[in-house]
Amino acid sequence: MDEVDKILIHSLRLSGTQVPEEVQSLQEFTTELIVESVVRCLRVIHPSLGTSLSHVLPPGMSARFRIGTSLAQACQELGYQAEVGYQTFLYSSVPEIRRLLLFLVEKLPRDDAEDARQPAGKSAGLLRAIAAKIKEELGTPWVPPACRTPRLQRLQGTCLLKPFHAHPLVLPRDSGPVERREFFGGFLPPVPAQPPRPGTVAPSLLERHVGDLGAQHDWEADWQSQGLASRLPPKEYVQWKHQRLRRRLLDQLRQAAPPHDTAGPPQPGARDLAELLSAGGAGGPLAKGSRFSHAQRLAHDQELVGQMQAVVETLVSSKTSEQEVQARQEEELAGLRGELQRLEAEMDAVGGEVKVLELSLSQAEAGLRQQRLALGGREQTLQVKSRALELLPQAENNLAKLQLLVESSAQRLVHLAAQWETRRGPLVDQYRHLRAARHSCQLESTRRVSEIQALHERGRSAATEARRKEELCRQLLTELESLPKDVSRAAYTQRILEIVGNIRKQKEEITKILSATRALQKEINSLTGKLDRTFAVTDELVFKDAKRDESVRKAYKYLAALHENCSQLIQTIEDAGAIQREIRDLEEQIESEGAKKTLANLERILSDYRALRQENAALLGRSRDP
Amino acid sequence: MAEPEIQQLLGVGLIEKDTNGDALWVWCYPSTTAEMRDLLLRKCCLTDENKLLHTFVFGQYRRSWFYITTVEVQDSSVLKKVTHFSIVLTAKDFNPEKYAAFTRILCRIYLKHGSPVKMMESYIAVFTKGICQSEENGSFLSKDFDARKAYLAGSIKDIVSQFGMETVILFTALMLKKRIVVYHPRIEVVQEFTRTLPALVWHRQDWSILHSYVHLNDDELEALKTCTGYIAGFIDSKVSNRLDLYDVCVNLADSEITISQQAKEAMTMGKLHKEIGQLIVQSAEDPDKSDSQVIKDISLKTKEILTNLASFTEVSDDGEKRTLNFEALKQKRYPPATENFLYHLAAAEQMLKI
Repeated sequence: MDEVDKILIHSLRLSGTQVPEEVQSLQEFTTELIVESVVRCLRVIHPSLGTSLSHVLPPGMSARFRIGTSLAQACQELGYQAEVGYQTFLYSSVPEIRRLLLFLVEKLPRDDAEDARQPAGKSAGLLRAIAAKIKEELGTPWVPPACRTPRLQRLQGTCLLKPFHAHPLVLPRDSGPVERREFFGGFLPPVPAQPPRPGTVAPSLLERHVGDLGAQHDWEADWQSQGLASRLPPKEYVQWKHQRLRRRLLDQLRQAAPPHDTAGPPQPGARDLAELLSAGGAGGPLAKGSRFSHAQRLAHDQELVGQMQAVVETLVSSKTSEQEVQARQEEELAGLRGELQRLEAEMDAVGGEVKVLELSLSQAEAGLRQQRLALGGREQTLQVKSRALELLPQAENNLAKLQLLVESSAQRLVHLAAQWETRRGPLVDQYRHLRAARHSCQLESTRRVSEIQALHERGRSAATEARRKEELCRQLLTELESLPKDVSRAAYTQRILEIVGNIRKQKEEITKILSATRALQKEINSLTGKLDRTFAVTDELVFKDAKRDESVRKAYKYLAALHENCSQLIQTIEDAGAIQREIRDLEEQIESEGAKKTLANLERILSDYRALRQENAALLGRSRDP
Repeated sequence: MAEPEIQQLLGVGLIEKDTNGDALWVWCYPSTTAEMRDLLLRKCCLTDENKLLHTFVFGQYRRSWFYITTVEVQDSSVLKKVTHFSIVLTAKDFNPEKYAAFTRILCRIYLKHGSPVKMMESYIAVFTKGICQSEENGSFLSKDFDARKAYLAGSIKDIVSQFGMETVILFTALMLKKRIVVYHPRIEVVQEFTRTLPALVWHRQDWSILHSYVHLNDDELEALKTCTGYIAGFIDSKVSNRLDLYDVCVNLADSEITISQQAKEAMTMGKLHKEIGQLIVQSAEDPDKSDSQVIKDISLKTKEILTNLASFTEVSDDGEKRTLNFEALKQKRYPPATENFLYHLAAAEQMLKI
């Protein structure tokens, strides 16, 4: 009970009650102390309930009475099941007080539960502080610039804002030629000095870091998912990706590039691109044509422009009369129109010529190709015919010989083919067998790759988990050191565990005793039964003979008396046992009543009752006299 | 003595697909270049997992024709690890029926014996004598398959029924030796369609412009670009984006014909073309006329046009060729579309003065 009291007192001290140092157990709690502790607990648990009550017990009896009832009501509202009334506080008994205070202390809100939910670590703390500050700043309403206080001006004005200009940073690398390494070693300024303005240092660092981090993440994600599956070493994998990208780009460009167009004025850029994609070939003559017409048009345009410029100059510089000017303008206009028509006609003619030339070119090319093919065919026939001519003199013989030759070479070819087959067959089989083996190896390696990926994942998660746990551990250790040392939890937990063990042992013993008792009772029951049955049998037996024989009658009487006495004995024993149980119960009751210090309370109640009556009388008197 | 037929066979090859899923080139005679091997692996349908089996495909690459027959192996006891195989025949001439029959025989031989040696015997027999024994107590005679029959095997009536008056666009393009690209997701449809197209210009009887199965692969497209005019069949729909490859694009799936921008000027059509178109449609719709008769009608009309054109030519200085006299043509004052067409036709028929 001491430990329980100590814990209670400690918790009450935490909740704000000023418990004096010498009070070590609930026995020594005065009424004032009880009331103060209950009120403070109520204030912590349920502020609305507790504020209306004062923790100082007033001297007046009725006021005390009132406080007692309101406290009892508050406790009942909180959910206290047992009987509570003003007497619990004013005329207290230790067990009741202990139960009530335990209930209230249980209800005290736990602070540590909230702490555990928040993530540990210094960075988490920093983030939390940042979040709180931002929340606070977001909460302040916007004020027009004219009405702002200096603090609000700092918050809401734009003077402190800096533009986010990032400057590329050069970080030293270990690889590369000697000169570069020298540069990195001796001449490269440190990173904070690299950006031109000091205001751009932070943005540049952020930008660089985010870029590097993003690239690292992307590479890891890509390598984990596709890179390992493709089974190439990293460099080859990167190359393969580049090639795939280039192919896709070419496809897209090809779809988007405009076709060859000799009708309208071709743009130089598009034409070059189309040339690039079609790789020359059939586009050649057409491209030439378009280049020609393009040059023509350009020359024509330039001429026109020159003429316009001349016209403008003449217009500007002339200072003669308006009519003369108009006449001259009209002349020039007619001249220019004629020029334009002439040029257009020229262009048409040239265009026609170009077409004719194109067609002739294609015709010539086709003719050339045909001639080449014909030449090839003719050469072959020439060879055959010359050989035939050589063999012609001995026509019959040669024909027969040729036949023989053809047959023999046919047979030889077949024979060679058979020989080749004997070599080829096993080789092909071996190849197929090896391919099958490779396929199964590949399956195996895919499985291993997936296992590796899973292991990677687990490793990563384990690393983050370990880091988090370390942080938590460190933080908890620091908290533990900062905690007050007056309450040693370890001793308490030890004691609790001991008590629990003891209780278990006792329970076992009780169960044992109960089972022994039960067995005993059963035995008693069976014996009683046996006794009754035996007596009944004996009685009958003896009674039968008792009518005839005198000694048997005597024996019968003795038997009956014996039975009677024994049953009385048993009865007495049972009564003695019952009385002993009663004695024990009454002793227990005496003890509990004794602890209630009823007499002292009764005296106090009587005195209080008298005081209350006096107060009532005084109040009555005061109310009667105005 | 009749003209002995020169054997046009170039080679034979065998591609197998095994239980590992690999398509391997396992045997060939006499030899093939690595380029041809890659090409033929692409053409035979064994390299792709979910492609359907095409029993017979043919095409042309740099003036040599390839014919591929693919067969699925049904748990044969002889060919243990093979699931499918293709027999590839390369030849110099265009004759799909002949080579289809021959490759089928070779397939059956291979299925039965499991060794290419027997195939080789038949191949050499056909190569030297033009005849070989087939498995079904018959024989394969290469002289049974005439080239002309191959040319006439396609159905011109089907083309006209699908495109109607637009067939005249195809006719014009072929006459002017333009580049035609045909697309359909199924290769059999493309092949059937493209093999019939050169029949519209029967007076040339030139099937070397036909490339019935082309992939969008750099080597093949390079080879294609060396020809001035061609008919190319594709099963990849992206070909319609390749404006550098065609003057006329035929989408068989949607029955659409588009003329590309650069060829619009040369392909302007007028009254003459309307005449030709009507003639073609009428002739094809006549249920009594057979395909060859329709082709004959078209070729008659073509001859008419060419004779008309020839009337404007004059003998050139060295007396060999006839070249076009442009002024004479101009004096006739044809409508501009017809004049344009005749002029381009002269260029195609090698009649321009250079």
